[in-house]
Amino acid sequence: MRLWKFVYLNTTFYAFLFIFSLVAIPVLSIFVAFCALILPHRLVMKRLRRAASWYGAVIIHILPFPLVRLKYKDYIQTDPGGPYVFVCNHRSASDPFLMAVLPVEAIQVVNIWPFRLPIWGLIAKIAGYLSVREIPFEDFLSKTTKLLREGVSIVAFPEGTRSRDNSVGQFHGALFRVALETKRPIVPLCITGNKKIPPIGSVFLHPGVIKIHRLKPLLWEEYNTFGPFKLKNHIRQIIIDEVAVMENSG
Amino acid sequence: MLFWFAKKGIMMVEQDVVRMVNEVLIESFEIKPEHLRPEAYIFNDLGLDSLDIVDLVVALQKKFGVTIRDDARVRTIRTLGDIYNFIQSIKRESNK
Repeated sequence: MRLWKFVYLNTTFYAFLFIFSLVAIPVLSIFVAFCALILPHRLVMKRLRRAASWYGAVIIHILPFPLVRLKYKDYIQTDPGGPYVFVCNHRSASDPFLMAVLPVEAIQVVNIWPFRLPIWGLIAKIAGYLSVREIPFEDFLSKTTKLLREGVSIVAFPEGTRSRDNSVGQFHGALFRVALETKRPIVPLCITGNKKIPPIGSVFLHPGVIKIHRLKPLLWEEYNTFGPFKLKNHIRQIIIDEVAVMENSG
Repeated sequence: MLFWFAKKGIMMVEQDVVRMVNEVLIESFEIKPEHLRPEAYIFNDLGLDSLDIVDLVVALQKKFGVTIRDDARVRTIRTLGDIYNFIQSIKRESNK
């Protein structure tokens, strides 16, 4: 039964992904190209990021359903208003796609490998995603500051690489320095359940339930006395605590 | 007797370096003193990243009154013990 599910999930997911991409990518590209003819650059970028988010939402919500289910919980009680700095734990290659659950315009800070993916890498580059390892910190700071000023949220996986066990690795502090500089709210995002969707070194998905919790934002007023080192470890601890709760809740 | 005093003097210097490096890590990074073991890896155990290292170098330079930023040996540092040894050798060199 388990093997049957595994085969069914991967056959249907990749078949539908291929067909869907074959249709959606040209259609969305034409939509964005049309926008470019009539709208200013800033709005075109907004439409492009929105289109990428729609595409990602179908991939994560519909294509693997019902064998992979997604449960998203938003713990924001009073929204301080974006743009935000989203900080997320990193366990799987599916994490960047899962960010399609966020109802905001955002770019992602990624490692080198997502840019090397065919078509998706190109779209990520055009959408303004940042490869943190390929640019000096000063450039990273100026680019992210500009994006935040334009109202674009930043999503990052500060562990830098996918965790091989269930632990949350040490955080890199670049994005926390950006938050301190720009005074934007920092939102911890916790992901569990996708360690095998897909596992490291494989493209095959395993059935399961992915949980994403968007936690209460940490406001500038709450973290302005912190240094970057303390801030990153504070957020890391919040994520570690929530991930433990999520995993123990079954 | 003279050798004993000389050895004791070197140990004092070493202990001072350890204490002062630890002070920098506690004051600048709020790392808990119990985590400051010589065998602790700077990145994996203490959680410092490349940008924190720049801050650490600046803080160490200020604390010890030495210039270490352009020293190639900085790149070989992996553990807290390596920092103690590096600062001690820098201090020794500057005293010559």
